Amino acid sequence: MGRYVVRRLGQLVVVVLGATMVLFACLFVIPGDPVGQIAGSDKARDPAVIAQLHKQYGLDKPLIVQYGTYVGKLVTGDLGTDYTQDRPVTEILGPKLENTAKLAVAAIVVDIVIGISVGVLAAMRRYSIWDVSATFVTTLAIGVPSIVLGMIMQRIFVVQLDWFPLIAGDSFKGIVLPAVTLAIIDAALVAQLARSTMLEVLRADYVKTAVAKGLSRRTVLIRHIMRNSVIPVITYLGISFGTLLGGAIITETIFNWNGIGLALIQAIQQNNNPIIVGVVTIGVAVFVLLNLIVDLLYAALDPRIRLA
Amino acid sequence: MRGAKSAKWVAGAIVIALAATACGSSDDNGGGSGSGSGKDGGTFRLGITEPVAIDPYNSQESEGTLVTDNLFTGLYDPTADGHVVPALATSKKVSSDGKTWTFTIKKGTKFTNGEPVDAQAFIRAWNRVAVKSAASDVAYHMAGIEGFADAQAGKAQTMSGLSAPDPYTLQVKLSAPDFEFYIKTSHTVFSPVPKVAGDAHNKAYNEAPIGNGPFKMQGKWEHNKSITLVRNDDYGLTKAHLAKVQIDILNSANGVTLETQGFESGQYDWARMPTPQLPAEKAKYEPQGEWIDQDTNGMNYLLPITDNGPMKNAKAREAISYAIDRDAIIKGVFQGMQTKSTTILPPVFKDVYQKDLCTSCIKQDPAKAKQLAAEGGLKPGTTIKLAYNTGAGHEEWIQAVKQQLESVLGLKVQTSGEPFAQLLGDQQKQGASGLFRFAWGADYPTPDNFLYPLLDTASINKDSSGKVQGDNRARYSNKTFDDLLAKARATSDDTARNAIYKQAEKVALDDMALIPLWNRTQLRLANTKKFANIKMDFHEDPNLPEISLK
Repeated sequence: MGRYVVRRLGQLVVVVLGATMVLFACLFVIPGDPVGQIAGSDKARDPAVIAQLHKQYGLDKPLIVQYGTYVGKLVTGDLGTDYTQDRPVTEILGPKLENTAKLAVAAIVVDIVIGISVGVLAAMRRYSIWDVSATFVTTLAIGVPSIVLGMIMQRIFVVQLDWFPLIAGDSFKGIVLPAVTLAIIDAALVAQLARSTMLEVLRADYVKTAVAKGLSRRTVLIRHIMRNSVIPVITYLGISFGTLLGGAIITETIFNWNGIGLALIQAIQQNNNPIIVGVVTIGVAVFVLLNLIVDLLYAALDPRIRLA
Repeated sequence: MRGAKSAKWVAGAIVIALAATACGSSDDNGGGSGSGSGKDGGTFRLGITEPVAIDPYNSQESEGTLVTDNLFTGLYDPTADGHVVPALATSKKVSSDGKTWTFTIKKGTKFTNGEPVDAQAFIRAWNRVAVKSAASDVAYHMAGIEGFADAQAGKAQTMSGLSAPDPYTLQVKLSAPDFEFYIKTSHTVFSPVPKVAGDAHNKAYNEAPIGNGPFKMQGKWEHNKSITLVRNDDYGLTKAHLAKVQIDILNSANGVTLETQGFESGQYDWARMPTPQLPAEKAKYEPQGEWIDQDTNGMNYLLPITDNGPMKNAKAREAISYAIDRDAIIKGVFQGMQTKSTTILPPVFKDVYQKDLCTSCIKQDPAKAKQLAAEGGLKPGTTIKLAYNTGAGHEEWIQAVKQQLESVLGLKVQTSGEPFAQLLGDQQKQGASGLFRFAWGADYPTPDNFLYPLLDTASINKDSSGKVQGDNRARYSNKTFDDLLAKARATSDDTARNAIYKQAEKVALDDMALIPLWNRTQLRLANTKKFANIKMDFHEDPNLPEISLK
């Protein structure tokens, strides 16, 4: 198991290096001078100023040298220096990562609570009006893009009803709309997944055996049914944590949530490459780590799964 | 009830009268304390996008200027209607050759950390910007000061042209005559700074500048999040009424939408709007008096490349101008919320404005367009490039212009949408040709700030590779025009100078050096229910120091 973890962490290094290399190459071919973009005014910048900034940020060197320098710093945990604020990328992204994590955790909580309870209830009362409407609503929720949902919610709950603040800041109230927007599609998927796996488990022999043994309904449900139906759901949630980052870009933009999704959007608009590369590096690392955690969790839940 | 209603009217009238007199008095002396109009207190809330800088050494766009202008007070202030009024300068004197300026500075004013604002505070600040290591984008505004070139080249740490004969007298020697130099000092880059400012890259100061303006920072600049200003109770000139200004920093992708929604939900007191929403917002807020509609110092043009390609001939350029139906575009695309431009200098410069100077701009004339195109060698079937920057709402009107040029002149118009930085780069490239979308806003209220950078030969400034480094991307070059501008700069009398500017503008328009499209009309929502005397200032921001509670 220890060796397994070490090997997986080794993979992480390779994946992060690969991702940053591809990204570096992409950013290099995007037209436009990152330094020229910073000011964003209609006026020409003094060539001397531009040359000085190029030198300051090492942009006068060939791509391969820039990449080498970047990787060299990366091993020490340094993600470089931002073009617009002239501050370390880690210092800028740190608090934003925390904000995105808050949002992601809130979204996952909504996912689990809404998704699993709706799915389980639907499975247990199969073909009831409850089941039918749950299927209808979840299908609808999956179909509606989060950008549309977010903007509609903003319009209704912020502008018309004035229940929530437009700019969340640090308040608890502020996290509700973004978290729900971010979670809703996943929650619907989780509900459908939970429903179908639960239905399968309900038909399984070991459940029949457990019932035959005369175990209480409650014990059967929690120890046998829930435990086994939750495995695919956890796998899914592990993957979806990664896609949450993608969703966060849209959600954070709509609600001006000060996380790394928003930072990425702004960085793309400003050709602020250090932030773009930084966000992707962090994103890839988080994604790989979460997959590792999911695999470990998987083994813990189902002893038949061996890690080697 | 009747009584109550009329009492309210009377009170309202008094407030307006007081506000009007307060404005009048601050115009002529810029000093004094407590104007007596409106109630003190209140928090004014608005959204902006992330500024480039709020430290005057590099503050540049409207967002950064909004903050810097309220934190600092310099020698002169620009007014929304295109003039400057004295702020800390109590007098100005210029030598007869136009090269030496002497300003006396109001005594007894302080920075918010208690340091006095004297001549040294200005000298310190200006040198701080001009040195090479500052790498300031806005240092070029000081280019006229003697010793600027040496400072920029890294040969000197101070500009030789600055001196203080006594603690409250600032003497500025220029390298060339400039009778309008005092107008330039209204730019934020000329703000004074205290000793603690240190050099331009002092992070602590960059994030929380200590100034001498009507407001001061509360805490520091929370990047991409917020900036909070509070009233400076020790301000040396007319104190602000507002207790606090809460500025949220919104993301640029949908910041304007957020501003509008914030206003509608009562969370903001000032907002910009996305173009498609303008008619609905106008219908809703104009009747309530919460709609601000103002022509500003900016202009929108088509920029023809005049030294190469199909736009080389002046008649060809005029043909393009005649072929465009500005009225139809304004009605169809802008919902009637822009005004047609018929000049290079915007109407806000009242003293030089020559309405309808551009005859081809007044009304579309297909017959005349065709005739001029034929004379100018712009044959039907000619391919012409029309480039614009994407994501800024230009797509629709660019398409309209394309259609008009194609249907009237039979041209093949290739529209090319590019990211903004790339568009600027393409304009600068050697061998560029065709037409570019273009806009210009003045940094200080003088016609020179339009005519010189945009059209003077010296502003082309090609480097060895042929790349245009200056702002004259049209590569317009006309000796008569250049001579007129030089003459204007060397003319001390305002009226005589303005007359020369008018002549210069006519020369450029006769050559169709730029193709005017529409004035920069700015529209805002403003909470006039809660606040009195809200207006748009020279930088298109709210006039925070003058706003008061109702």
